[in-house]
Amino acid sequence: MPKLKLSGVSKAYGATVALKRGDLEIDGGEVHVLIGSNGSGKSTLCKIVAGSVRPDAGEILLDDQPVTVSGPQAARALGIGIFYQELSLAAHRTVAENISLPDLPMKAGIFVDREALASRAARYIALFDGVTGDGFSADATVETLRADQRQLVEIMKALAAETPVLIFDEPTSALDRAQVDRFFDILRDLKAKGRSIVFISHRMDEIFAIGDRVTVIRDGETVGTRRIADIDPAGVVRLMVGEQDELAPPASAPPAANHTGAGSVLGVKDLSGRGFANMNFEVARGEILGFGGLHGQGQSSVLRAIFGATPPAQGAITLNGKPFAASSPREAIRNGCAYVSGDRTRDGVVHGRPILENVTPIHYLRDRLFLARPSALRDKALPALQALHTKFATLSHPINSLSGGNQQKVVIARWLIDRPDVLLLDDPTKGIDLSAKADLFALVRKLAEEGVGIVLYSSEDAELLNNADRILVFNGGQVTRELTGTERTRYNLYQAAYEAA
Amino acid sequence: MASAVANPRPASSGIKRLFERFPFLPALMILAVLLALNGLYQPRSVSFIGMTGLVKTYLALIMLAIAQTYVVFAGDIDLSAGAIVSLVNVVIVVLMEQWGGSGLSVMAALGVGLAVGLACGIVNGIVVAALRLQAIVATFATSIFFTGLALYVLPVAGTPAPAAFWRTYGGRFFEIPFVLYAVVVLAMVIYVLARTRLATQLLAIGDDSQAAFQSGLPVTAIRIRGYALCGIFAALAAFCITGDTASGDPLVGGKMTLFSVAAVVLGGSALSGGFGTVVGSLIGALIIGLINSLVFFVGTPSEWQNLVQGLAILVALMAGVLVGRRARA
Amino acid sequence: MMNATLLMEFARKPLVIALLLIVALLVLGEALSPGFASAQQILRLLIVAALLGIVAAGQNLVILGGREGIDLSVGGVVSLSAIIAGNLMNGMDSGIPLAVLGCVAAGALFGLFNGLGVTLLRIPPLVMTLGMLGVLQGLLVVIRQGIPSGRAAPALSNFVSQPFLFGLPGIIWLWIVIGVVMAWLLGRTVFGHRIYAIGSNEQAAFMAGVPVKLVRIALFVLSGVFAAIAGICLLGYSGSSFANVGEQYMLPSIIAVVFGGTPLSGGKGGYTGTMAGAVLLVILQSILTTVNIDESGRQMVFGATLLVLMLFYGRGRAMRA
Repeated sequence: MPKLKLSGVSKAYGATVALKRGDLEIDGGEVHVLIGSNGSGKSTLCKIVAGSVRPDAGEILLDDQPVTVSGPQAARALGIGIFYQELSLAAHRTVAENISLPDLPMKAGIFVDREALASRAARYIALFDGVTGDGFSADATVETLRADQRQLVEIMKALAAETPVLIFDEPTSALDRAQVDRFFDILRDLKAKGRSIVFISHRMDEIFAIGDRVTVIRDGETVGTRRIADIDPAGVVRLMVGEQDELAPPASAPPAANHTGAGSVLGVKDLSGRGFANMNFEVARGEILGFGGLHGQGQSSVLRAIFGATPPAQGAITLNGKPFAASSPREAIRNGCAYVSGDRTRDGVVHGRPILENVTPIHYLRDRLFLARPSALRDKALPALQALHTKFATLSHPINSLSGGNQQKVVIARWLIDRPDVLLLDDPTKGIDLSAKADLFALVRKLAEEGVGIVLYSSEDAELLNNADRILVFNGGQVTRELTGTERTRYNLYQAAYEAA
Repeated sequence: MASAVANPRPASSGIKRLFERFPFLPALMILAVLLALNGLYQPRSVSFIGMTGLVKTYLALIMLAIAQTYVVFAGDIDLSAGAIVSLVNVVIVVLMEQWGGSGLSVMAALGVGLAVGLACGIVNGIVVAALRLQAIVATFATSIFFTGLALYVLPVAGTPAPAAFWRTYGGRFFEIPFVLYAVVVLAMVIYVLARTRLATQLLAIGDDSQAAFQSGLPVTAIRIRGYALCGIFAALAAFCITGDTASGDPLVGGKMTLFSVAAVVLGGSALSGGFGTVVGSLIGALIIGLINSLVFFVGTPSEWQNLVQGLAILVALMAGVLVGRRARA
Repeated sequence: MMNATLLMEFARKPLVIALLLIVALLVLGEALSPGFASAQQILRLLIVAALLGIVAAGQNLVILGGREGIDLSVGGVVSLSAIIAGNLMNGMDSGIPLAVLGCVAAGALFGLFNGLGVTLLRIPPLVMTLGMLGVLQGLLVVIRQGIPSGRAAPALSNFVSQPFLFGLPGIIWLWIVIGVVMAWLLGRTVFGHRIYAIGSNEQAAFMAGVPVKLVRIALFVLSGVFAAIAGICLLGYSGSSFANVGEQYMLPSIIAVVFGGTPLSGGKGGYTGTMAGAVLLVILQSILTTVNIDESGRQMVFGATLLVLMLFYGRGRAMRA
């Protein structure tokens, strides 16, 4: 008898379907891995089980009894605990308070029982003894902690619920090896006690290290469950991507880097800043320079620093041979620098506004416009959107009426009206569908052919290998390897990314 | 692996930790400066009698600032706090008069006053947290409603409070002024309340209400409790103001609302919620009081007093926000 | 079916809600007190609404710009402007140009202070404008003590209350012009699009090269200017200025914006709705004065009605989506 069983669970936000048909079965004493690409619906599924998202349809069985999870409080009462990917911590509260936040121990009916609070915190902190890092203590406020330490607090908070069902939505993304190992020891221990654990991770090695079974979700639908013992990583990937290939195969092999005569359009010398150090590279006109490595190794920070979005870094940057130190994106844009963020919700989309207004802001700036005449702007916006095969009803529809991929196309299209000299792509395909990715990379190559210098950071190896002329592999805020020509193989990329900094 | 470049905040220095634990330190420093200046221009103002007078006059604002703090903790605001003061003020004055003004009737009237404050707070809480209306506009609407109620209870100002009441408030017991007992009790109440589960939960909601909800906190109920607590302290503020003015006035509290918000900000609490202390708000209210008296003591011409007070409060507000941010950054 | 859904969607638009409520209130008013909805009465209401509406124009801009944008100092600026205007014109038409210039400059100056405090020092708008309100109230006392209260110029009084063109007084035309200019500004200029951009997603606007701070400062300056214009008109309406005459506009200007469909979170809405919101508020107050109940009942009904009306408008998102 499965401990927890979900069948046909679905959720839509307006026109956007987050989860089409989620099925999941978890036994007692099992670590059940849930895997799928970004935006495939894993988190929505977890949140439905944890009560923080209301499902549109579907059935949840707990110990074979149909249950309605009416909210997070109800979920805890039913014995379901969760680690939220985006964390659910109160930044100004202490570690101890956060661990016990859902049910603060009480004294005399109204007071927080400080001793019970401290002893409970000590119990869960002890589980990670030796790997919590500097500055971690029960009475440290969460805002003073590092990203990995905050993630540990969220783990402790989930563990402290002591529920029979525990969901971990990407709990290891910021943890180091020792922390992950310790966490896995704890999970094994819980498994031995008969707990049911859902575990989400993008790292194949972790999945095979800790999982008993794996369920794959693709485009909001559960496509299958396998025993880990019966499948290999390649098999999991096949389930994840389905019949399609990871990417449309490139029309031709990426051009060899023969831009030496073209002259550099972007030069970076001894650049250091928050999260990266000693950057030295040049981008030639028409070249696509790839940034590789594990997520969060400084790739993004470098791009944002060049674009002027973060406070000035040390070192020198040249644009078209001239010294260039943008103190704001505004200045960078005026000088012909473009930047596309993968986090379109935060950095790109002007929510609730028409598509037209989302395509035109760069044009306003570069042409120093004062009036926004719809007819003139339409003529500028349409070709840019068409170049990316953007699907939309009319330009006056709000951008939120589009799918994620099309929203990102609109955000990218804003750079196409006035051609930039340098295009910085910061993981631009995060969470968008395959056809949108193909359209995007076709455009990127076309731009390169037309002489734009391009820097591409992607968290997906295939995108880099298929599109970049050269790849700089980042590790610990430094470039540890440069892959050119035939060195650009998945094996080399993987090896350079994982070797110790 | 991945955490190698996570950006740790620089290790907290001693001073930073101090500000973290006691966010009202900047306010305390401003308070000390103001006290010194008051003493410089009018030595008697910092004497025992002078301080007692100051506390007697500003205890109502202190109470209201404390009231406001509990809703600000959760990232809410109560623009009806002053109207609640007015309502409770007229309710207790009218009841004391009708019930004869004896000690017992005074106590009974105060009980009713507390209940009225609590009820107003709960109404605010339901409107803002349960009906999900925006706090600024919704509590403005309830403030109009409460003011209407106050006008219904007592259409024009003037009904005197019984002597038993204001003589107690302004009087002495064992040679010690009553308001000082009140301050001691208040300090204990604040100390106790700071240790309640509710205070921690309100702050957690102010930090990130969605995260608090996802953690399983009954967010709506907790916010309503915050407003209820605010209503109770607004009622206490009304008691103080009644003791000070010794009469009923259906509009007496109206002007106090914005000062209570200013006091909270002066005290180092963030209006966005999640961060702050009640002690800070208390100090903030005292700062407003000391600015007002200092402006008087330095001999500002009467028509310039309001302007100088306004400027001084604006500067203090800005300084408080800036110093607080600098200290924690 | 399709038509029904379209109709439902149409009926949910704040502007439509406000207009429907206005009509309903006019009918109610006429029923309670015949003559309430006569042309002359409506004109009188519109004049009062125009005063509120002009203040709300600036409030609207500040709120649209997001980041908890709000301007509590508008009431103070209205009062200050009324006094300055009264003293500069002192009952003479020849003084009007100078009065207008002086008031607008003063409004812009205080708006600039607010804007600088909010952007450069990053003081929350509520705190900054609240502090500024205190300063303005103090300044009023100083000015009032120093010089005798002035009077409105006859031309200004006529502008506000006498027919000017097609039977409508000048202030109504002024309001219409402001309405058209605001619609043009918000919909057809780069500046307008930038206001929505910073109000909807400041980070994205910053990354797209919008001068976020400059735009926000401009919004506060405009808010001061609109409040100043309203102050001049208010002087024309009442003949002479009296203490804190502008305070009555502080929170109602915010309510008019909210009833017009611009949520306090910003980035959404526009001024056409706000105009309807201002008319709605004024009619509501007017009905309550018409009905024979005393002040206390009037206030209670007004407060309760505001709450009920707010339920029609955007309530916050539920915690559980």
